[in-house]
Amino acid sequence: ACDEGEVVIKFSHVTNTDKHPKGIAASLLEQRVNDEMNGKACMEVFPNSTLYNDDKVLEAMLQGDVQLAAPSLSKFEKFTKQFRIFDLPFMFKDITAVEAFQASDAGQAMLDSMQKRGLQGLGYWHNGMKQMSANKPLLVPTDANGLKFRVQSSDVLVAQMEAMGASPQKMAFSEVYGGLQQGVVDGQENTWSNIYGKKFFEVQDGTTETDHGILDYLLVTNIDWLNGLDADVRDQFLTIVHEVTETRNKESTAVNQAAKESVIAAGGVVRELTAEQRQAWVDAMKPVWAKFEGDVGTDNIEAAQKINMMSN
Amino acid sequence: MEILILFVMVIGLMLIGVPIAVSLGLSSILFLLTFSDSSTASIAQTLFEAFEGHSTLLAIPFFILASSFMSTGGVAKRIIRFSIALVGHFRGGLAIASVLACMIFAALSGSSPATVVAIGSIVIAAMRQVGYTKEFAAGVICNAGTLGILIPPSIVMVVYAAAVEVSVGRMFLAGVIPGLLAGTMLMIGIYVMARIKNMPSGEWAGWGEVFQSLREAFWGLMLIAIIMIGIYGIPGVTSAIFTPTEAAAVASVYAFIVACFIYRDMGPLAARDGQERRNIFQKPQSLITAFWHEDTRRTLFDAGRLVVTLMFVIANALILKHVITDEQIPQQITSTMLAYGFGPVMFLIVVNVILLIGGQFMEPSGLLVIVAPLVFPIAMELGIDPIHLGIIMVVNMEIGMITPPVGLNLFVTAGVAGMSMMGVVRAALPFLAIMFLFLIMITYIPWISTVLPNAVMGPEVINN
Amino acid sequence: MTFAKRWTDRLEENLIAFLLGMMTLMTFANVVARYVFNSNIFYALELTVFMFAWLVLLGASYAVKKSAHLGVDAIINMAGSRIRRILALISAVACIAYAFFLLKGAWDYWAPFANLYPTEGRWFPLGFDETTRGRGWYETQDIPVPFFLNWLSDVFNDGDAYEKLPKVVPYLVLPVSMALLLFRFLQAGWAVWTGKIDMMIVSHEAEDDVEEAAKRLKEQEEAM
Ligand code: NA
Ligand code: NA
Repeated sequence: ACDEGEVVIKFSHVTNTDKHPKGIAASLLEQRVNDEMNGKACMEVFPNSTLYNDDKVLEAMLQGDVQLAAPSLSKFEKFTKQFRIFDLPFMFKDITAVEAFQASDAGQAMLDSMQKRGLQGLGYWHNGMKQMSANKPLLVPTDANGLKFRVQSSDVLVAQMEAMGASPQKMAFSEVYGGLQQGVVDGQENTWSNIYGKKFFEVQDGTTETDHGILDYLLVTNIDWLNGLDADVRDQFLTIVHEVTETRNKESTAVNQAAKESVIAAGGVVRELTAEQRQAWVDAMKPVWAKFEGDVGTDNIEAAQKINMMSN
Repeated sequence: MEILILFVMVIGLMLIGVPIAVSLGLSSILFLLTFSDSSTASIAQTLFEAFEGHSTLLAIPFFILASSFMSTGGVAKRIIRFSIALVGHFRGGLAIASVLACMIFAALSGSSPATVVAIGSIVIAAMRQVGYTKEFAAGVICNAGTLGILIPPSIVMVVYAAAVEVSVGRMFLAGVIPGLLAGTMLMIGIYVMARIKNMPSGEWAGWGEVFQSLREAFWGLMLIAIIMIGIYGIPGVTSAIFTPTEAAAVASVYAFIVACFIYRDMGPLAARDGQERRNIFQKPQSLITAFWHEDTRRTLFDAGRLVVTLMFVIANALILKHVITDEQIPQQITSTMLAYGFGPVMFLIVVNVILLIGGQFMEPSGLLVIVAPLVFPIAMELGIDPIHLGIIMVVNMEIGMITPPVGLNLFVTAGVAGMSMMGVVRAALPFLAIMFLFLIMITYIPWISTVLPNAVMGPEVINN
Repeated sequence: MTFAKRWTDRLEENLIAFLLGMMTLMTFANVVARYVFNSNIFYALELTVFMFAWLVLLGASYAVKKSAHLGVDAIINMAGSRIRRILALISAVACIAYAFFLLKGAWDYWAPFANLYPTEGRWFPLGFDETTRGRGWYETQDIPVPFFLNWLSDVFNDGDAYEKLPKVVPYLVLPVSMALLLFRFLQAGWAVWTGKIDMMIVSHEAEDDVEEAAKRLKEQEEAM
């Protein structure tokens, strides 16, 4: 518990504290703030959605009941549609390109883009690139024809599934494993760490390494709260946030790589795409870009594409 | 210390006659305003979140509705006839058949009191007629009725699943073997008593009656098939068709169709004003009018009213859960308990005792919402299977319903049978011993609960 | 008076029946869409969940009117009529306080979504907090805006069209239902004060059914 006079920082998130990339980062942040800012600030972490889920936490933050959260980037589409760029399929070639974009002027500007609505982005936290799994082999987009895919609530992801000829389905995360296994839905998309952590690979024919999208989180705070802190407290806090962000983001690729290897070691089938097959996916998804170009901004898309080329 | 004030306040308010929901909600609000920095808006948010954020709880209104259509539809009568045809000829046969009927009805309904009302209102009279004492009849029904929440579907299991985020489908499967086991133990108990006391036995009416009664009950029994096959599929034949929540909604629609168009016990085709029930060809417009027929409206309203009162308790219990989480009380309790070196055995005993005491004051689902988040983290630390823990909790709730001073099934049975509470308590006592034995078995043999879900759905994935 | 009473009863009962019926049909339709048409009503779940919240929150005040909320009556049944009356009065005060705090909380929660100000003050409203940013732009996840609600964007979103139904709509039920709840608790409190009722609860969920069942059983026994 916090001592009298300390600034209380409540951080509510939805994963475990020691296995998931986000949970690990949150625990590290908690530890460093409580060690280094003892007497000035104190952080309480509420993991596993015990306090709020990712939809409610942003409301609670605007209300002043929570100070930190790290929902997935799609959750910010309600605040500004620019964030749809991260859901657009094949927008980024790999996690390096994602990172370069986030560090670019365009990416940094997005951190400040929600100030008017009361949020301040503090940093992008990686999970990693999304893969696709289903109850049959997926090699070209038409393989997904007629399949039912569980997706998060997001117009972009719905459009993406429809572009593949698949039927997007909504389902509570706790029912997904059972849903896949019993066949209520046929497939899903997620990062390696989630596919391994939730054991989805056990109940799927296989996972295709599509790297088609990205699942990252945005560490956010209430801007009025942040501005109300004493300058030295704020500076020290932000410094710790940046250091933790850098440290953990460096690890994320390794975490997902290890998860992928664990999937294989546990007998899960992993399929890689040839350059041709991958191009077929990219082509199939192109109409999705056109549909959301207006929301995302052509300049943002161009910036992302330039980065893709550069990292060739 | 603060937590003690909170719980004393909750219980104090309840005992002086404040509605349970208000006792929970008001205590939480006062606690939050006094000890925390969080806003009152967060309370209202949590109240709405009870619905918005827990889509699994949606199964509750649907199962209640399905059960309402089934009770209105006289399905209980047909199930009882079938049960008597099967086992009525044993010594104590009518009592054994009553247990069987409760088990079957439990597979249609998610609630224990509903099971007591549906089956009890018919068989208690029938048992008296053939020479059982009223006390014995009431004791049987009071106990067997508790299977309503153990044999899937179960409202209490839905609440548990929502509170600790495990799969509802898994919980339902976990209840199957314990439910059959408890039912069988009760039947054996009755049979032994019947032999000792030389109770009456019925006549074997032959396989003809078995098939005849099965055909009559078929449409009601099909509901069980729809729910189970819908959620789990049949290996090699079909995959699952819907989530447990959807299964409940489909069950409601099905029950409506059966009640209105097949059994025609309600709705536009039902027999009324001295007129025989009609068939669909005599009155084809009923396909449409059934939707707003007075019987349909009444059933929807009655079920809706029950949903309101039950869910209002659960929503307020979720407010309490939010407030204690906000104050990090579950963590404190976990670390205290672990610091005292609690092992799994000691822990499970404590859980059983807490629930048996708590069950005296609280509506079972509301109690679960509060206790589950407090004990769940400890259970995970101790390596207890979350599904097993869930079943232990459900069985505790069952026992809470039939132990004095306060117990849902005691009230309901007393009401239905027109007996005093104490009369029912005494009547239920011999069977209560069986249920306690059953609780001990469930608590210390996790296999009973986990073997079926693990076989069908693979080992539990522990997310936390 | 009695006409108005019957009319509101009827209205509330029909609303409860309607919402439950619609929830069921909506969910059922989604299953049919998925299995028969290999399609999906993506907003079905969210819409159903909102109807669920409306059903229970609006129903809560109806349940007060009918003294149908669940409670523990073991102690009050043992008490003499004087004690019983005192306990009932304390209960009424507790209920009124509860509804009052929740009404404040509900307003504070909902107001920003309507670009209105929440109240200031922790225990009691002491004016309005005019520094609060409006959240009229905040949309639900999946529900499209029905055409007859297109005017909402002019009122709450500076004319920017909504892609999804704004949250101001589903959350409206909070202040409305809590105001109704407060009203019904005040009425019940008055009824206790004037001695018309002596408790505000039922002891269990099946009280009505039990009465009916008991009657049936009695008839059967008399027929024996
Ligand atoms: Na049941
Ligand atoms: Na009890």
